[in-house]
Amino acid sequence: MTEGPAAITHALERTIVGQKGVIEGLLLGLLCGGHVLLEGPPGLAKTLACRSLADALHGEFKRVQFTPDLLPSDIVGTRIFDQRESAFTTVRGPIFANVVLADEINRAPAKVQSALLEAMQERQVTIGPQTHPLPDPFIVMATMNPLDSEGTYALPIAQMDRFLLKIDVSYPSRDDEFAILERFAIGDAPVIAPVATLEDVRTWRTQAHGVHVDDALKRYIVELVVITREAQHPAIDYGASPRATLAIANLARAKALLDRREYAVPDDVRAVAPLALRHRIGFNFRVSNDGGPARVLDELIARVPVP
Amino acid sequence: MLRILTGIVLVSAASLAIAHAQSLQRLTVTQLTLAADTTTPRIEMPFHLIVTAHVRERISELDNLDLPILAELELQGDEHVTVASRTGTTYRETITVVAHHSGTITIAPVTLDAIDARNGKPTRFSSNSLTLHVAGPSAAIAATTNVFGNFVALFFFLVRLVLWVLGIGIVLFIVAALVRRRPRPIAAPAVTLAPPKPVIRDPKTQLRAALAALRADRSRAGAMRARHIVRQMVGATDAETLADVMRRPLVQDRDTRDLLRALERAGFTHNADLSVAIAAALAQLERMTA
Repeated sequence: MTEGPAAITHALERTIVGQKGVIEGLLLGLLCGGHVLLEGPPGLAKTLACRSLADALHGEFKRVQFTPDLLPSDIVGTRIFDQRESAFTTVRGPIFANVVLADEINRAPAKVQSALLEAMQERQVTIGPQTHPLPDPFIVMATMNPLDSEGTYALPIAQMDRFLLKIDVSYPSRDDEFAILERFAIGDAPVIAPVATLEDVRTWRTQAHGVHVDDALKRYIVELVVITREAQHPAIDYGASPRATLAIANLARAKALLDRREYAVPDDVRAVAPLALRHRIGFNFRVSNDGGPARVLDELIARVPVP
Repeated sequence: MLRILTGIVLVSAASLAIAHAQSLQRLTVTQLTLAADTTTPRIEMPFHLIVTAHVRERISELDNLDLPILAELELQGDEHVTVASRTGTTYRETITVVAHHSGTITIAPVTLDAIDARNGKPTRFSSNSLTLHVAGPSAAIAATTNVFGNFVALFFFLVRLVLWVLGIGIVLFIVAALVRRRPRPIAAPAVTLAPPKPVIRDPKTQLRAALAALRADRSRAGAMRARHIVRQMVGATDAETLADVMRRPLVQDRDTRDLLRALERAGFTHNADLSVAIAAALAQLERMTA
């Protein structure tokens, strides 16, 4: 149906103004088959971006607003007794969709978070005696608001690790905000026509998997992850796990595919490393004095020689 | 009986610890600092210690902030202000103190006990410590306290000055006498050495070296060697990727950019494409060295 993943980028850019990093991050997650965590203040088109991605794929989109009283069955589904049939029937929850938006994931208690994250990991859910596979592609996009932590349940680091990448959504520039005003002041965001099929996504994912990562580049990736553990940085309590190594390699492959290459280069690794590392490192409160997590991470990445 | 009593004591201690943890505020601490408006205060001159804390949450008070014991300073006043903003709450406490003795004073860090909202664990956050060097009394205070002492100090200062001037004069006299006695050296003929030739290799030489490296070894290793030479030629450092190098002023001509791209491809492409990539890099090098 399409000539490549760039078609989705062009489709999303018609709806989402400015946020190129968000669009690229979502596409990288889609090409790697990984889940995406978006952190940013309200009103930055996080939900719109996720919905637009589902529309562009002709896939099914579901949104779950996480609240403190949410139950695991509200996400995965439940079994109810049908009196006419005198039998239990399964009602599937919103997790049975291609693109699931878990809005403000840190507002729900740990039991609900773990139900979602278990489904993300296993790509199947068990309701009663039956196990149901989730659709393919299946991508969860979870959002968190960094400004308001009152009444939230922080995601444990083990659960943060399940997300392939984390995107920090920032405010748009003046020009972008002007463009938003021009484009959306009168009506709603334009509806996106599908530009790719779910089969296309599966094909791209196979192509991304086949992208070559040279040994020198693999060693570079390992060094980038190891330095987060061995740098003894005062703002870091603990570094990233080997899952980060795998995540960087997969994301670099996807980035190369987005740039229409069959091999990854150091620029791909450098571009995706912060996305895979930021949420896997245990920063302590001193990080604010050092310019924030992004700056500390940039400083560590710059210490590793490029092959 | 003793076991029962020990059990009761342990249970009570555990419940006290739980109660303490439950009474802690849940905070995302982003700043906790201890500062002073001067690190070299003078005796009997009041100065201020400033504690600043910033948390992401909106709170009215910080409950478990512990100030260090200021044993060597006299506390004269303490006021604090809590300001809420869009990014959270800033707590600022200003403590007015005065020192009565000169010397070095180290003030221990301020601590804040809270549940860290990042991981949900009870945490003790610590600020920096502070070292103050208390100097003697200021001129104004000294003048009002001891006028006679000032005269005595001035007298001794003048005596010291005179002794220093005399000492320096004697040393200069001895040096001058020695210089006058020493025989004059015979002036050697001036030899002007030619400055060493700088080892600057022009881009053409480096491109030829890269070409030679790649011709000698048409493998990935050879491509990486040629890539290294060309990166050196344009002044790239170990920390720079191709995108960084492309932003350099020396890399604005199309040929060099194409060459860098070709060598990047030869260095990292898959095995099936390697020979084609090396051939492309060689062709570009030959074009540029012709």
